[in-house]
Amino acid sequence: MVLTCAVVRGTNAQRIDASRHSRRNLLRTGGLLALGAAAAPLTACDPFGREEAAPRPPDPLRPLLDESLALAAAYRDAATAHTDLAARLTPIAEAHQAHAAELAGVLGVDLPSAGATPGSSTATDPDATIADLRQRERVGRDGAVTACAAAPAARAALVGSIAAARATHLEALK
Amino acid sequence: MSERSAPPTPAEALAAALNAEYAAIFAYGPIGVRLSGSARTDARQAEAAHRRRRDALVVQLSTAGATVPPDRAGYTLPFPITDRASALRLAIEVEERTAAHWRAALAATSGSDRDQALDALVDYAVRATRWRRTAKITPLTVPFPGRST
Repeated sequence: MVLTCAVVRGTNAQRIDASRHSRRNLLRTGGLLALGAAAAPLTACDPFGREEAAPRPPDPLRPLLDESLALAAAYRDAATAHTDLAARLTPIAEAHQAHAAELAGVLGVDLPSAGATPGSSTATDPDATIADLRQRERVGRDGAVTACAAAPAARAALVGSIAAARATHLEALK
Repeated sequence: MSERSAPPTPAEALAAALNAEYAAIFAYGPIGVRLSGSARTDARQAEAAHRRRRDALVVQLSTAGATVPPDRAGYTLPFPITDRASALRLAIEVEERTAAHWRAALAATSGSDRDQALDALVDYAVRATRWRRTAKITPLTVPFPGRST
């Protein structure tokens, strides 16, 4: 996997080098892409048509990384609060942390140290805790499925495995 | 399992998935014999899922004018099935292996073909988790379903 990450990073770096001398074109393209994607309704409402002033859209995998970290923290907190659930929850926390590490490698960003991401408040009732975690996994799985459909080829397998992993967590918490 | 240097074409990736489905269907024969009750029902349902995907792939590859790999008379099982425990172990392995082939198809495909591949990867990963629960193997999950390492 180290190789895969290195290749992906290299590809990005090459793309950036190749387009450095046409940065303005790149920015314009970015603006047009944003126009065609999520920003379309906003842009339509913008009376000044300032597409070029729009901030560069974040990498689509960034929300997946943040979500993995938040899920890992939520499972760790739940395992601490309910020690009898720890054997079930800890491997899932570790899986989310492993997803975050892989995604950080692909994105070329540093992974925040474990514990830096605050989890949500854990319910005192174990059943409510499990129900809350399952709901978060369901949302996370659906997000990863959507991200996989849109991912470039080099990222599709990783994002697909993350979607599948989240689905198996849902099953494991039944 | 070594990664290929040249990425497979969509048809090659789907043909590889079809071969995995043939082998999975074959394996569920001896698996089902060693199981009873709800586990046998689960095995029948799992086998039916592999048959559905096999049939869909045959139609899909034929329609696209691609080569449809033939089913073989038999497939080598990774270990002998002698009892319930080994049958459950093989069921887990069958789901993991087919999941791996569909995972490999993700990078080679896009649009509805990729949706189809992801659906299979998710389905088989969940089935592997169910089999681990039946076999009382923990943890019930792996961090990266379908990845060989």
